[in-house]
Amino acid sequence: MNIAGSDRPETETLRIGFMPLADCAPLVMASVLGFDEKYGIKLVLERQQSWSAMRDRLTNGELDGAHALYGLLYGLQMGIGSPARDMAVLMNLNQNGQAIVLSRALAAAGVKDGAGLAALMREQPRRYTFGHTFPTGNHAMWLCYWLAAAGIDPLAHTRLVTVPPGQMAANLEAGHMDGFCAGEPWSRRAVMEASGALVAPSSQVWPDHPGKALGARADFVARHPNSCRALVAALLDTARWLDTSATNREAAAEVLASPAYIHAKVDLLRACLLPRRGDFPGLRFFGEGEATFPWLSDGMWFLTQQRRWGLLREDPDYLGVACAVNQVELYREAAALAGVDVPDRLMRSSTLMDGRVWDGSGPVGYAASFAIHQREPHVISA
Amino acid sequence: MKAPDPSRSLRIVVVHGGDAQAGDAALAAQACRSAALRVGLLESGYDIVASLPPDIFLPERIAQLQPDLIIVDSESDARDVLEHIVIATREERRPIVLFTEDDSADTMEAAVAAGVSAYIVAGLRAERVRPVLDVALARFKREQKLLGELADTRQKLAERKLIDRAKGLLMARHGLLEDEAYGRLRSLAMNKNMRLAEIAQRILDVEDLLGERPAKGVK
Repeated sequence: MNIAGSDRPETETLRIGFMPLADCAPLVMASVLGFDEKYGIKLVLERQQSWSAMRDRLTNGELDGAHALYGLLYGLQMGIGSPARDMAVLMNLNQNGQAIVLSRALAAAGVKDGAGLAALMREQPRRYTFGHTFPTGNHAMWLCYWLAAAGIDPLAHTRLVTVPPGQMAANLEAGHMDGFCAGEPWSRRAVMEASGALVAPSSQVWPDHPGKALGARADFVARHPNSCRALVAALLDTARWLDTSATNREAAAEVLASPAYIHAKVDLLRACLLPRRGDFPGLRFFGEGEATFPWLSDGMWFLTQQRRWGLLREDPDYLGVACAVNQVELYREAAALAGVDVPDRLMRSSTLMDGRVWDGSGPVGYAASFAIHQREPHVISA
Repeated sequence: MKAPDPSRSLRIVVVHGGDAQAGDAALAAQACRSAALRVGLLESGYDIVASLPPDIFLPERIAQLQPDLIIVDSESDARDVLEHIVIATREERRPIVLFTEDDSADTMEAAVAAGVSAYIVAGLRAERVRPVLDVALARFKREQKLLGELADTRQKLAERKLIDRAKGLLMARHGLLEDEAYGRLRSLAMNKNMRLAEIAQRILDVEDLLGERPAKGVK
């Protein structure tokens, strides 16, 4: 490993924000197992209470990097709800491992899927409320995609609310919400504690969908390429370690359960990280370098959905934005350091739950092609 | 708008956070900060219209109360809920002020430089509350004004394009000179008591509707 000379990290200490979610495993285990030191850096992990606080710390320089919702980073790039900042996605940190959970009442009424929910909403009209975790974030996008695929207009026919993931189960239990989409372990806890019923794992909406991304400010990456390369290499090592064996996942569950990280029961985290046979596809961290790659098509997808739901009022230069945000070159160099295969393409082809294929081509047409949307027509006001 | 001291009549909502009874030290500290802040605001003569819990009903309560200013702890998990409000009401944003124990000037400056729609109330001593709120509100109003000007400019540009297209259409259809076409548009607008851009839009709509047919003219 050549970490002397010109490859020497510009800064050895990297302050990384994380949220107490099962998919923070790569960051926590990189630090616990010392994969960071192998590449000449030291991760200082800082637990965050909200995505908003994490975003502010990332933009004002209190954090160098973050375990962030992919959609949040693109929303920040485009200035949705906050001033636009040039951001960087260094790698994808996980696939799958989120879920849509419905209330016990809906489950008791026989709702087993989106179609059942749509039928019930027609029969028993009232205001239905669904929770997600951040307006521009992944869970909002999975929830809206799932509802719309069943013919339910999420913006016109339901009330969407942002709820901290730890409060989801209690709100469902109290009847304040009819369902929610959140990450593990909060979705699984609601199911295990019987506050709600699992209706769709996120892998059903989009098998092997992008998850949290390793985000940083673009200017930080430009000024610290060696540190960032080392960071990605260390996380690639960790992702490989996490996907190597059940024993490793077991160890990760025990570490993550601690109050310093997620502060939850070990059994709960074990269930999240060690899916049983026959279970739906759970958290995937490595996938031989497929799950970690910063696919341009993954980044563009969030822009197409933000456009679909009117968060973006105009079509951005989808490909241009993704090329600027996703740091493919740096990832390739880091993968070479860690001895991880790199795909020879920049886009991947995925089939989502409604049979629609997304392969990164024709984003303007794709974003405009959904029957249910809220794209705000252009009106000349008087 | 002739209130003697407008800042004193601000309608302020405090989102109270934390839990003084919880074993968690961070939550207890948050609850302390929240209480100290409310005392500080009241001592400074501010009108706290409500102190709201950070729960799922927060957006509705804020919609009902229509406060001028929302104050929340920077470490509160209700911040994402407020973010939802910010994005859902992008047209009518209101300033959200953050408060925290961290009273370093660097942090505050960094937050401001990053464009956070938020300000850190340092120290929470009553005499500090007012100047910080004044600065927060002034900056928010300035930003809103700039945003308004930007939107205005965009709108004018879009209208200008419409007018140019309609003018071009009249010139091509009726063999008019540019000045004549513009004069025609303007007199149409005056006769119908509409804005130039609206008349232009109508002309273009009619053109869209009638397409390639050799139109006799546009009323």
